[in-house]
Amino acid sequence: MNTGAVTLTARDAADAVRRRGEPTRALAGQDERIAAACRDMAVRFRRGGRLLTFGNGAATADAAHLAVEFVHPVIVGKRALPALSLVGDPATLTGIARRRGFDDIFAAQLRTQADRDDIAVGISADGACTNVARALTEAAGRGLLTVALVGGDGTGAVVATPGLDHLLVVRSTDPAIVKELHVTIYHVLWELAHVFLEQTEDRRAGAGR
Amino acid sequence: MSGIESLYPFLYGEAEATSPAGDTGGSVFDDVRRSTREKVAEIAALREQVIAEYAEALASCAIAIAASFAGGGRLWAFGNGGSSTDAQAVAALFAAPETEGAVCLPAVALTADVAALTALSNDVSFDVVFARPLAAAGRPGDVAFALSTSGGSANVLRGLAEARHRGLVTVGLAGYDGGAMAEPGAVDHLFVMRSSSVHRIQEAQTTVYQVLGELTRRALGAPAGPATDG
Repeated sequence: MNTGAVTLTARDAADAVRRRGEPTRALAGQDERIAAACRDMAVRFRRGGRLLTFGNGAATADAAHLAVEFVHPVIVGKRALPALSLVGDPATLTGIARRRGFDDIFAAQLRTQADRDDIAVGISADGACTNVARALTEAAGRGLLTVALVGGDGTGAVVATPGLDHLLVVRSTDPAIVKELHVTIYHVLWELAHVFLEQTEDRRAGAGR
Repeated sequence: MSGIESLYPFLYGEAEATSPAGDTGGSVFDDVRRSTREKVAEIAALREQVIAEYAEALASCAIAIAASFAGGGRLWAFGNGGSSTDAQAVAALFAAPETEGAVCLPAVALTADVAALTALSNDVSFDVVFARPLAAAGRPGDVAFALSTSGGSANVLRGLAEARHRGLVTVGLAGYDGGAMAEPGAVDHLFVMRSSSVHRIQEAQTTVYQVLGELTRRALGAPAGPATDG
């Protein structure tokens, strides 16, 4: 490997960051879809549901990040909410993969762990992850609220999940850009689900319950 | 109206004017939509600020990381909480790239080894969970890649100090004003996301490390990657 062959300049770096501009602006146009997902998640938490998250590769880190947002809020005073990522236990993951195949690693955990009031969030940068699609299908069949974060052109196995409640698409074919905007989406899901949740609590308190 | 909608009508777009609280500022739903757009605008602006302040530094940091890999070096990534998941994403960016045909480069997330983390926390102190593995396995010329939104996590700072002591190249991603990570001598390549929102800081940090990954591959002579849109 030779690092002398290619020169990198500040302009290369600036151009790379600027490629985020258009997909980021486009995300603002999904405000209604994002708000609807927040609202429905708040209703599930109100009913005692848990958040269950999953994804592959880089999205594994996002699944873990999304779960910890809810369990340990970064904003002081926000209540902790029950969330579990299905990517955190290598013994479980490799055990299921060996016996039932990689496509079942998340669906099998849902069959064991999920209750009907829970929320399933699947993350797939290209929308093509078979194991994410299978888990969301399993979740929808069990009555969970289902949310998919995908990228690309908005097609693929995950997008085609029967009964999917919320589909949030980042319109970019660059998986790095998709990931960055997924981080923004799930930060917003966390923060604004709390807004809806606090509303339900305020109203119930106001009604003298 | 579904069962849920009749239970929480105010969540489903009914005007606040009809609510018991008597607000007139539009529905909660509209407030949340507006808040979503504002947050998206904030992260777009923060990325512009990163370009203004760090374009040059991003290029030179990528050259340093590329030189490390070219010389047989390894990259070690670490952070706490949400930043621990970013550390894993950093390691995967190099070691398990999602781009077809991209070369795999040796990178490890120190946060992925739960046995080491809990052993050190239980037997010694949580403050040494990154410094100790770096002392054991870090070599001169390796890269220590640290993420902290505050710039003040004790175990991250201890890890960076150990790395510098052993001759590793140190890269630090922080937020706010950089905290202790911004003090002279703490880190070779420092990137501070100048925001007071932990969320926007993490989002901008994700851009920084992914752009560093892309530029590092270019410095190593690889194709630019999937820069096909945007």
